[in-house]
Amino acid sequence: MAEVEETLKRIQSQKGVQGITIVNAEGIPIKTTLDNSSTVQYAGLIHQLVMKARSTVRDIDPQNDLTFLRIRSKKSGIMIAPDKDYFLIVIQNPSD
Amino acid sequence: MRVCVQILRQFCFNSATKRIVEIPDLQWEKSQLNRNVACRFFFIWFPDLTELKLPVSDPNPSLCVCVLLTLQWDTDPSVLQLQSDSELGRKMQRLGATKITQVDFLPREVVLYCKETQTPITGTEEEDDEEIIDLEPALESDQQEEVDNKETREGYPGRELTEEEKQQILKSEEFLSFFDCSIRVMERALAEQSDIFFDYSGRDLEDKDGELQGGSSLSLSRLFYDEHWSKHRVITCLDWSPQYPELLVASYNNNEDAPHEPDGVALVWNMKFKKNTPEYVFHCQSPVVAVGFARFHPNLVVGGTYSGQIVLWDNRSHRRTPVQRTPLSAAAHTHPVYCVNVVGTQNANNLITVSTDGRMCSWTQPISTPWDFMELVYNKSKPVAVTGMAFPTGDVNNYVVGSEEGTVYTASRHGSKAGICEMFEGHQGPVTGLSCHNAVGPVDFSHLFVTSSFDWTVKLWSTKHNKPLYSFEDNADYIYDVMWSPVHPALFAAVDGMGRLDLWNLNSDTEVPTASVTVEGASALNRVRWASGGKEVAVGDSEGRLWIYDAGELAVPHSEDWARFARTLMEIKANRGDAEEEGLVELTP
Repeated sequence: MAEVEETLKRIQSQKGVQGITIVNAEGIPIKTTLDNSSTVQYAGLIHQLVMKARSTVRDIDPQNDLTFLRIRSKKSGIMIAPDKDYFLIVIQNPSD
Repeated sequence: MRVCVQILRQFCFNSATKRIVEIPDLQWEKSQLNRNVACRFFFIWFPDLTELKLPVSDPNPSLCVCVLLTLQWDTDPSVLQLQSDSELGRKMQRLGATKITQVDFLPREVVLYCKETQTPITGTEEEDDEEIIDLEPALESDQQEEVDNKETREGYPGRELTEEEKQQILKSEEFLSFFDCSIRVMERALAEQSDIFFDYSGRDLEDKDGELQGGSSLSLSRLFYDEHWSKHRVITCLDWSPQYPELLVASYNNNEDAPHEPDGVALVWNMKFKKNTPEYVFHCQSPVVAVGFARFHPNLVVGGTYSGQIVLWDNRSHRRTPVQRTPLSAAAHTHPVYCVNVVGTQNANNLITVSTDGRMCSWTQPISTPWDFMELVYNKSKPVAVTGMAFPTGDVNNYVVGSEEGTVYTASRHGSKAGICEMFEGHQGPVTGLSCHNAVGPVDFSHLFVTSSFDWTVKLWSTKHNKPLYSFEDNADYIYDVMWSPVHPALFAAVDGMGRLDLWNLNSDTEVPTASVTVEGASALNRVRWASGGKEVAVGDSEGRLWIYDAGELAVPHSEDWARFARTLMEIKANRGDAEEEGLVELTP
């Protein structure tokens, strides 16, 4: 449990990382380094996006599944590692 | 002419109130009907009806009767026969249901966007939309429907989990395994930050980093250092993975500044991705002084510790502590184990460990008691304090050990001469590193080995002669480790206490190293290991830093290198023979 904290702290301190959130399969945030309102917003929106992405992948090929999702935008980037039960979401600033 | 009249309904017009009232039952007497009536089609107006007993109290009643006229004429053929609505006239008009045709209109397909805002929308502009939303249009996939339902049910932001539930989840096994895997992937992705949007026309190209150079010299490729686990620890051993050439494991001594941290740490580093954190972190209770990947078990890492325990870590489990360890018993090792080696083949392999009290043990999986152990004793009296051990290529029985006294011995595991065979004297200080010739080529040099020692020299030996063939004396400090290149027959690397990494190419020069580099900070370098491809060399220093150098062109062997090396050897032997008068003692192998 402490290892989880330590690892999150380490990643948080890396260059460019704005925040990390872990969300469960229903879209409820479990652990986060952002403030509450942002967390809730990200959790809800990204959960829907991942569900849509996953269903897209699956519809094209039922044997396939989503493994990683990365969004690049002008001001930031979001990386999502989805699993069967949880998502790990990392929000970053592409400062370089 | 006779007129048949059928009275359908009867109405009375009240001229005072100017209302028309229907009269339900009105019985007509025959006599009344005989009057002259002004007949209008369908409506017959009777002007004077005072004689009729009308149920209405009206001073001036007038009656209007709605009738259906059926005209019957005489059956005179000269008269027109008018048949108008005769059928309908006969029966009472009754309204009944006609044949119903069912027409099904499907609800209009509406494109719905699953967009929700934070403030709930109360009342939309068009009522149509609301109606349609209520209809819940059918969608293709069930998942989508479920998600929609969930959204509409949960709303936004959704139900919250209590702190306890969150803690519960965070401790659960499946969460930890998910976290382990996805954090690793995420770190790699974070490290691979390349700017795909870079516009070359927008700005001038700055001078590129010195990545393109490094053709013929030794250049620094990576530095692996972990703030938490590497700080203040000495790297005691290194090993490259035989299965994944980008992985290497480094073992670390204890951290004196942090007594509460585990004493022994082994970190598995990954060269392939740019992330600077270890792939796996393992630790144990006693400082790890030797480490290696288990050659035939890709998931296992073997460690030899200062306490004499052998520990086994498994990267499949999430635990950072060993999955197996040997008991601390007199049957096993009780002294630091400086060498661990897996020898054999896929089907028949053993883990060989040697400790500084001269005991050599050979283990099989699962390690609990040694399968075989042997005391390495020279001349049946003096135990050998082993600091290094190496097996020549392809040999599983005979091996070479270096000792603290400066002598090197050959020994064999089985056979009639099990135990120490020959003694090689030459070094004046403890032997720190030992390496048997590895490169396989047209000429066999497997009898050669090099040793490094505290006496500032690296010596080249052959198992056939008990005195060194050559001594390399370019260094001015303790030499901590030496290793032959796995691909180049005449190349070896040595590291010393001044932070120098030397590459010696015996085909070019035997007096000075061909390439030399000092690490930043000039900390003492404790270990050197070539990667299995022979292109990179890893050095570990006393500050816990792991440097990966790229040897470039130097390390690439050419086909004539073997022949050249054979000639070099002959020259060396010839020079040696001239220099020393005493005859070489030829040893039978």
